[in-house]
Amino acid sequence: MASTSIPVEPLPLSAEDAHLLSQSHIKKHTISIVLLHWFNAIVWAIELATGSALIVAPGYGFMPIWYSKMMDSLAGGHANLLRIHIAVGLTWSIVFVIYAIFGWRHFLRAEVLRKEVGIDADDIQWLRIRLLLLLNRTRETLPPQGAYNAGQKLYALLVYAMVPIIMVTGWVMAMHRFSPFLIQWSMLLHFIAAGMVVSGLMIHIYMGAVFPEERPAFYSMITGLVDELYAYSHHFKWWREVKLEEAEWQASLSRKSKLTAAVAASTDDAIHPRPSKL
Amino acid sequence: MPRYAMVIDQERCVGCQSCTVACKSEWEVPEGGARTRVRNAGTRGTYPDLLSTFYVSQCNHCDHPTCVPACPSGATYQDANGIVRVNKDVCIGCGSCVAACPYGARYINANKGVVDKCDFCASRLEQGWEPACVLTCPGNAKTFGDLENPGGKVFNMVYRQGATRMESAQVALGPNVYYVGKAGHVEMAATAFPVGTPKTVAAGKIWGAVAKKLVFLSVGATFLGQAVAFFRQLATGEKQYEE
Repeated sequence: MASTSIPVEPLPLSAEDAHLLSQSHIKKHTISIVLLHWFNAIVWAIELATGSALIVAPGYGFMPIWYSKMMDSLAGGHANLLRIHIAVGLTWSIVFVIYAIFGWRHFLRAEVLRKEVGIDADDIQWLRIRLLLLLNRTRETLPPQGAYNAGQKLYALLVYAMVPIIMVTGWVMAMHRFSPFLIQWSMLLHFIAAGMVVSGLMIHIYMGAVFPEERPAFYSMITGLVDELYAYSHHFKWWREVKLEEAEWQASLSRKSKLTAAVAASTDDAIHPRPSKL
Repeated sequence: MPRYAMVIDQERCVGCQSCTVACKSEWEVPEGGARTRVRNAGTRGTYPDLLSTFYVSQCNHCDHPTCVPACPSGATYQDANGIVRVNKDVCIGCGSCVAACPYGARYINANKGVVDKCDFCASRLEQGWEPACVLTCPGNAKTFGDLENPGGKVFNMVYRQGATRMESAQVALGPNVYYVGKAGHVEMAATAFPVGTPKTVAAGKIWGAVAKKLVFLSVGATFLGQAVAFFRQLATGEKQYEE
């Protein structure tokens, strides 16, 4: 496909085009991201279930006492519940630290961060229209989005801000050898940061698992692939980028083949010189 | 179910610190910490009419302990027999209970990173032994027993000899360490080492006043948002992206 035939903005698709696009897939997530996502999901499920049951004092607690008692019984005592919470949480933080150490070149570059969390004018518009669409208050179309839409970017920003807080305060409390003052504030920050992530998680899970229009995004977290129709209609800017890259790659391939042909020809000449005129 | 209590006879206490030593060695209390203390309450009067006494303090195992609700994780709890205990496997040493105790009976064990305090030697009681300090006291100044046993020594000292609690007008939590002595002894100790005020740590105050509301509002708002979207989805029917 030549780059000239890639549209600059999303055009309405004919039924035939839509069908063709829906039949081909492009890669959205690498296997490491898919695995990390589900590891993270399982850890969050365990940590939220155990962590919310750990706090029992009347001034602090926020779950019904029967829930704490139920979790205590499941874990085999309040102390075991705490041990599970700490063991899973520390494992989680260690896995992410290892991931950060070995993968920082891949995802801490400016262009990757811009792609994942950079909010632009289109994103602001998208947020406004998305909200109105959910409430059925507008007929505007959503502006084109990159690999992640504005909602996902906001959630990523929230998670990026809160997860380090959760990890550091978690380590402080798990060690509990520092000043009590530090531990008191760690508990508070741990609770607030986790609460903020949960408020985003509500929308994250709804959008991922329940909301019908984003269903391909859910399956992409299993297969790593999205069909092109979804990419075209939901992440047009990203779809265009992928297509441009493909076109560039194709072009370089054909350039290469011309070059190798020329090199082969010249080598041929060198090894088997043509008979010159006498 | 017994209701354990202790009576300290200030007339018999000579401040030898044997109980402190016994307690420290029994519970491996590190330097700087104390489950029980003997403090000099000073001297009163003019020679030859002098009065001096010591204040033996430890956890009072109050009827209404302020430390139990102050503990976020539930590590501090009260047994049915009245003994207030710390579950060391649950405690993370945040010290909220230390601030909540008006008697300064709790300390943070720096070696273990957990809060420690007198528990009337609960594990010794289970074996049928008296608390280490009671067994050690050379002057028999400490009496330990069941407050609900009418034939017991503690019952006798509290209800017949009038042993008193260390309480103030503001802070009356029903402490279960009682004091007897010569006229003036108990009052001297109470004056020299007055009952403090139970405090809530700053982070604990913010937790209840701000953090809980913030998290509930924020989680509630997004939950409500997705619930509205979900019911709209049910009402209008699903539209697949392919259509």
